[in-house]
Amino acid sequence: MRLGYVLAVFGKEWRDLVSNRLLLGAVAFPALIFAAIPTGVVAFIQLNDLDPSQLGQIKQYIANFPDLAPKLAAQGFIITNFMAYFLLIPAMVPMAIATQSVIGEKLARSLEPQLATPLEVGELLAGKTLAAALPAVAATWGVFALYGWVNGAIADPILTRLIFSNVWLVAMATLVPLICLFSVLLGIVVSSRVNDPRTAQQIGGFVVIPIIAVAVAQFVGGKATFSMEQVLIGDLLVAGLIGVTLLIGSWAFDRESILTRLA
Amino acid sequence: MIVVEGLRKDFRALTAVHDMSFTVGDGEIFGLLGPNGAGKTTTVRMLAGLISPTAGTATVNGHSLGEGSQRIRAITGILTESPGLHEKLTARQNLAFYGRLYGLRGMRLKDAVDRYLAVVEMTEHADQRVVTFSKGMRQKVAVARALLHDPEVIYLDEPTSGLDPSAAKTIRDFIATLRSLGRSIVVCTHNLDEAERLCDRIGIMRGTLLRVDTPAGLRRHGRSATVRVELNGARGPESFIGRMADLPFVTGVQATESTLVVELADPRHETPDLVAALVAAGARITSVAEEAQTLEEAYLSLVGEHGERDVDR
Repeated sequence: MRLGYVLAVFGKEWRDLVSNRLLLGAVAFPALIFAAIPTGVVAFIQLNDLDPSQLGQIKQYIANFPDLAPKLAAQGFIITNFMAYFLLIPAMVPMAIATQSVIGEKLARSLEPQLATPLEVGELLAGKTLAAALPAVAATWGVFALYGWVNGAIADPILTRLIFSNVWLVAMATLVPLICLFSVLLGIVVSSRVNDPRTAQQIGGFVVIPIIAVAVAQFVGGKATFSMEQVLIGDLLVAGLIGVTLLIGSWAFDRESILTRLA
Repeated sequence: MIVVEGLRKDFRALTAVHDMSFTVGDGEIFGLLGPNGAGKTTTVRMLAGLISPTAGTATVNGHSLGEGSQRIRAITGILTESPGLHEKLTARQNLAFYGRLYGLRGMRLKDAVDRYLAVVEMTEHADQRVVTFSKGMRQKVAVARALLHDPEVIYLDEPTSGLDPSAAKTIRDFIATLRSLGRSIVVCTHNLDEAERLCDRIGIMRGTLLRVDTPAGLRRHGRSATVRVELNGARGPESFIGRMADLPFVTGVQATESTLVVELADPRHETPDLVAALVAAGARITSVAEEAQTLEEAYLSLVGEHGERDVDR
């Protein structure tokens, strides 16, 4: 794989992305929403005292933070429990970019001239993958940093430390890029078979279901957040899925089938 | 030079192209004519290293399809059926992107982009986004993209589609210049007038090549040509009918007021003998003109002979 060719594709994709305000909005908006909801709850709790009659109902949750006062423990539970949804950003955003990129080019018939150059299909996909994954990783990391800083400022610096815990730093450094990569590859594989971005996103959207299921299970089980073991198992699981998707992708996205499947 | 031998492409049960054999020399413009679905695009895609043939072989400047496909793509310029430009990028950004994909860098890239923007008369629109361009402007940028890396072999699908007459002439003239530089050029077109003006030889295809010949050779296909001989003298044309009908190469003869209309199988070789025979018989000839069928008539006759076939891929 030749870096110059990958970077050429990446540069073109990046220009395309920057000029597409709707798609840029699709990158930024979900990330901000996922951060704003728990932050709003933390601010609400900060401005209002806990109702002592309700303490029993949240006992299970605040027990996760025995060293903290009930109010701060409730805030701690909210911010850490919602962090599972941060994994939705790398699952959703690059999928939207990748499907738009591949299907957009199929419909514009701009894939054929690219495939007619010495560019290898792997280099084309690597450039597209980078261009779809990097904004999503950057958006997730950026909002994660903002989330930690803002919640600490609203309530207590302890919340910042809870957010920037070792578990979540590892999750951000490993799980987020892996989920991004999986989402992009899945988007590309689906896009090679359909010619409508919405259909591709709907099919690819199934990737968010396990993440939502984990987040809901955590809440129902009264667990504040993941353990380090769970993050590492998640890394292995997603890496395995990437391997399977790469295998399917190398079969689905060859030069000939792209050209002859153009509608 | 392009050498094609027995090329075939199947898409599952559909045979798009079969038994294709032809050559395109250096400095030759070869036209591929055929109805929609004839397999022109499939043939070009195979020769450009984009899809693999099911059977047969081809070499492009010595590189074989298959193992040499990447090298073939590097020395090939292709103007696809649809311009397929990146709408959000400017004309210059589009060309610069493709230049990089063809391995151009730095000043070489900048010079090539500037040069070909000038060739297609798009310099003043170079920094406008393609989304704002008319069909003709897009076509010009796509032509520039196909030629940017000075390819040795060039495939042009409807190169002047959407262009105004002046721009079309500019492009045709440039294609002729490329021929003089020794490039092998294949032009796919439905524009018979353009094919006749531009191409050294034309292949008419419908799933396979039905006939390959020069434009003049194709015009003579399938029927005897007519030669009109204008006479001026005391003897009217009807007085020569008997003598002409006796000539072995004359297949028919008619007389009008001052003209003999003679049908010949091969006018290129038989017209001098016809003229000599008339002069020997005492005719005073003022002009001789061949009335061959048009390329369109020849094309329709050839394509019509071979019936309908499946849709192109």
